[in-house]
Amino acid sequence: MFKRSDESLIAKALNGDQHAWQQLVNRHQSALFYFGLRLLGSQEDASDLLQDVLMVLCRNLGQYRGDSSFKSWLFGIANYRAMDMLRRRKYTDSDDALAQMPAEAAEMPEQLANQQQQQQVQQQLRKLPIEQRLVLELKFYQQFTFDEIATQLAISSNTVKSRFYAALDKMRLQLESDHVEQSANF
Amino acid sequence: MSNNQQIFEDWLEGKLTEQQCQQQLQFDPVWLDRMLNVQAMRADAAAPRFEVVPEFDSSALFAKQWQRPKPQRSWWPQVSLALSCAAMLISLSPAQLQLKDGSLTLSWQNTEAEVNAAVSTALTAYQHEQQQWLLQQLDFQQQNTSTQLVLLKDYLQNELKHDQRSDMLQLVEYLNQQRQSDWQYWQENYQPVQANYRPTDSYYLSPTNTGVVKP
Repeated sequence: MFKRSDESLIAKALNGDQHAWQQLVNRHQSALFYFGLRLLGSQEDASDLLQDVLMVLCRNLGQYRGDSSFKSWLFGIANYRAMDMLRRRKYTDSDDALAQMPAEAAEMPEQLANQQQQQQVQQQLRKLPIEQRLVLELKFYQQFTFDEIATQLAISSNTVKSRFYAALDKMRLQLESDHVEQSANF
Repeated sequence: MSNNQQIFEDWLEGKLTEQQCQQQLQFDPVWLDRMLNVQAMRADAAAPRFEVVPEFDSSALFAKQWQRPKPQRSWWPQVSLALSCAAMLISLSPAQLQLKDGSLTLSWQNTEAEVNAAVSTALTAYQHEQQQWLLQQLDFQQQNTSTQLVLLKDYLQNELKHDQRSDMLQLVEYLNQQRQSDWQYWQENYQPVQANYRPTDSYYLSPTNTGVVKP
């Protein structure tokens, strides 16, 4: 079936077409919610972020000029709002909500096969500084290029790469220390 | 940018396969570990998520921001246009509505025959009219010609009379001149001779110094 582009849906929505707006929201709200969930650590915060981003999107829909892809523009808003939320609540990695996430997900039988590896990745991600975590999130979970991430975060492409490799190295060190801890426990 | 970084980024962008990248980075454990981390994160990103996305009714928000009340539309212009189109169609189509003896009849006519008949009638009428006009023109021409002939005849007659009269006058004048000339010649040449000559038995009176003496 013919799928309308984001740009055509925006144009229709700007003319008052509520169906087009709903299509646009349905297309991107899952990605936004899971983005919030990974970054903020709780469903409530992810839901708040989703609502917040949709409200900002609705107010500023007419400002989208098509210079970048709509998804990139939308995640530019989401990044800003998420960072704002984290700054306001003084988010820490020891948040209880983060620890509850794998337990909730483990109830689903489809996840059991790769559960251990995913938990490990999620834990390593949570231990990263928020700027580095954001870069990895945008690179691997949202499939943006380094240039798109740089545009969204209003930093240079080299800074993005620097954070990216620093995050990968930090994850490697965490993995090594985890192995050391596990060996010591045995 | 180091060569290994270039290889790694080429693999990230899909320009190199996993095997090619592993083969080229096999002697650099740092880059190999980075690669393993990336593979783990890619696997995590590709895994389905089962958390329920909360329902958020953004339609009210959208309606408040972007939807405008629909303008109240009057249907009268559309109705008027539709009726006009219907009237035009009825007038152009071969359908005929006839109200006869209190009953409305819709009939379809053979337009071609009707048009042929109408053309034929019009042509006949035109022919008749043209003939009438030609006759009138002919009659008028004849009358005109007769009038002109009469006028020409009168003119010629008048001219002839005038010429005749002129000729007669000239003749009379000529004759008078001739007589005058003869008389003058006679007076000059014969009168003196005549005055002296008288026969004896002339009956005519002969002038004398004392008066007329009859023979």
